[in-house]
Amino acid sequence: MKNPDAIVIGAGLVGACAALALTNAGLKVLVIDRGPVASGTTGAGEGNILVSDKEPSAELTLALRSRDAWFELNTDVGGGFELEDKGGVVISRSSQGIDNLKKLSKLQAQNGIEVVQLDAAGIRQIEPHISKDVEYAVLYPQDAQCQPMLAAACIMRAVRKRGGVFMQGENVKSITVESGKVVGLVTEKNRYSSPIIINATGTWAGEVAKMAGSYLPIMPRRGFILVTAPAPKIVHHKVYDADYVANVASSDADLQSSAVVEGTESGTILIGASRERVGFKSDLDVAVLRQLARQAISLFPILSNIALLRAYRGFRPYAPDHLPVIGEDANVSGLWHAAGHEGAGIGLAPATGELLVSQITGTKAFMDPTPFSPKRFKEGEALAI
Amino acid sequence: MHNVVIVGAGPAGLSAALAAAAAGAPVLLLDSNQRLGGQYWRNSSEPIESQKDQHFDLDTGMLLMNAVKARKEISVWNGAQIWSASHKDGVNTLRVLHQGGEKIINTANLVLCTGAYDRTLPFPGWDIPGVMTPGGVQSLIKGHGVLAGNKVVVAGSGPFLLPVAAGIIKAGGQVVELLEANKSKRWLLSPLTLLENITKLKEAFYYIKTISQGKVRARFGVAVIAAHKGVDGKLESVDVATIKRNFKVKKTRNVKCDVAAIGWGFTADTSLAGALGCKLKVARDKGVVAEADSNQQSSIPGIFVAGELTGIGGAELSMAEGVIAGISAAKFVGCKVEISRAHKKRRAKKQRFADALIRSYPVKSGWLTWLKNETTVCRCEEVSVGNLKYAIEELGATDSRTAKLFTRCGMGLCQGRVCGRSVVDLVAAELNISPTDTDRISAVNRPIISPIPLGVLAAGE
Repeated sequence: MKNPDAIVIGAGLVGACAALALTNAGLKVLVIDRGPVASGTTGAGEGNILVSDKEPSAELTLALRSRDAWFELNTDVGGGFELEDKGGVVISRSSQGIDNLKKLSKLQAQNGIEVVQLDAAGIRQIEPHISKDVEYAVLYPQDAQCQPMLAAACIMRAVRKRGGVFMQGENVKSITVESGKVVGLVTEKNRYSSPIIINATGTWAGEVAKMAGSYLPIMPRRGFILVTAPAPKIVHHKVYDADYVANVASSDADLQSSAVVEGTESGTILIGASRERVGFKSDLDVAVLRQLARQAISLFPILSNIALLRAYRGFRPYAPDHLPVIGEDANVSGLWHAAGHEGAGIGLAPATGELLVSQITGTKAFMDPTPFSPKRFKEGEALAI
Repeated sequence: MHNVVIVGAGPAGLSAALAAAAAGAPVLLLDSNQRLGGQYWRNSSEPIESQKDQHFDLDTGMLLMNAVKARKEISVWNGAQIWSASHKDGVNTLRVLHQGGEKIINTANLVLCTGAYDRTLPFPGWDIPGVMTPGGVQSLIKGHGVLAGNKVVVAGSGPFLLPVAAGIIKAGGQVVELLEANKSKRWLLSPLTLLENITKLKEAFYYIKTISQGKVRARFGVAVIAAHKGVDGKLESVDVATIKRNFKVKKTRNVKCDVAAIGWGFTADTSLAGALGCKLKVARDKGVVAEADSNQQSSIPGIFVAGELTGIGGAELSMAEGVIAGISAAKFVGCKVEISRAHKKRRAKKQRFADALIRSYPVKSGWLTWLKNETTVCRCEEVSVGNLKYAIEELGATDSRTAKLFTRCGMGLCQGRVCGRSVVDLVAAELNISPTDTDRISAVNRPIISPIPLGVLAAGE
């Protein structure tokens, strides 16, 4: 396909969802990735589909729509990626923290999130192994989970079956722009023409914007995930400390972590979510692993005897205001960005695809996309790493 | 003077420790086993003199082990398991599980002698209880005095099948079949090497004598291609096939047995070298090994590598390399000592023999035709050939890493130590391509070298 209606760069979940939404809207789509499907941040994710960590905001509207869109998508492509509405449990142990969590969950409930308040007995009913000192928690039944690599692969399969083309192992070298408009791109192997290019390259989206002579302030925020040896069912939901919400919103460069603990079908337990701004530094940082282990054990003391089996890391793409970028480039028409979802890209991907396509095709969107516009950044705005 | 830190107390590690100590360097020797000797001289808590029967040359082993114990310059940590390691600015950090806690070792120099483990190939029924590796059967006998079964089929390829069969017979078991997949005449490819290493022939005759007492004769060009279980779920019989040179099946018969010891040579344990960032490469037998220069130094100055880690070659080559690595490490910490020409000559001779071994006992790609869709490939995560095919055909995986991430193949308890190498071959064959060195090397990447309890991890600084 040399002359597609649209080219999507990046076959992570955001790119895959954008490609599927475009294909479903009747466009001939070409997806290009320098590696195989889900070889960037998608392949290093936990597969979080969360509403619990969002304060009432445009991002929450996006998250709520996306959560439903995930289940619609599951039906549309025929499943195969372990989508499960396991529910999230958020706890707090300090009186200040409990007050804040009560306030937040009340606000969330007013904004369409299902919320169940739990007292000490209530928590133990659904999470019997939770630490003795936990006396208050909120259950978010809508929080869900998928296997993100399989999801990206299944969605890309649907794109191919519906006439789209996926060229993997092709590195984009340049984007051709004529009088302020995108006309195509050049890879190491081929040259393609298209009036529409979607930049879904996540953490690397800034480089792609640069190829078109534009600018996008997306930076990496490193995170580790610990995977334990298989264990009997200990953790039943996605359980985390309310500090996590504060960390997500923080712009501090130092290491922040607030363990998110969850059990999986296979019996392994996943422990996330450290956040560090260290560029693309990829070596295993034992200090981070230790901190995550300490926090996980403080939530579930029984984990102390479970063995860590492996650990992996990924680089979340984030913008200065921690909001995703979904919309047309500020300087180049025909160049559309769908990137910068930080740790929420898996959860937000389907709605991101929908919001993007409604802008491209000029149809009515489920929400106003302005808060996510790339035009919100000032040229030269950057973050210290 | 700084310590020379040596990891692994098999033939290479013991030799390195003695060479470094003789040069005047204080040595810290770490090993995950409770006793010295490694896999090759694995021994039980019984008096060691009584275990000679299970070894061709325990005398050499005892000599080295006793010398290590006697040397005051050498401290030994047995039962020490390294779970993580890193290299930064010339300092190597080893994080070691030892005596119930975690200890941290920082050292500018290291000698890695981490050895190798049995190479397995998946085949229908290989996950039935009773199908074992030759190394597993042997270590039960050597380490615990336990015979895995009464009627044993020993099969696969490589000279290691001989001592295993002999050991079973000496321990009172019956070897019902001894099957070598390759033809014995492959040795004619290396006639000079055979003459030069006449002691090796002696070793072979030693085993063959024992084996003939067990009334079993080795068959060549024959392999076990399937295993069947009885009503109790345990191994009942195996399908034994005459195979072509490319390992494709000619004809099959069924053999009753309660244990099948099947191995295809060895895979180097590169986990620690890889975690430290030493350069790894693909050897001639397509196994991944650590790169070493003529002084046994790895790609990182101050880290020396010896033994099976640098390429499968047996105990004698390991000892020759270990001596050179030990001298190099002592020199690195300031000892006045040089590697002699005799050391290098000995290593070269043993290396020629190792090369001949690789020529004589290849694993040909025809083994892939033994597999069925439902054959398990990854036992830890229960991934079948069919699951991998689905990942390739339906989900579009075009390399082994992606196929692995789609199926969790090789991501379980053993971290791909058992199946990783086979998966690379299997995925490439399915895609009709040749695996790249990058495919093979990335399949052995294990940042967490061995499991660590979260409580111990959390307690560390």
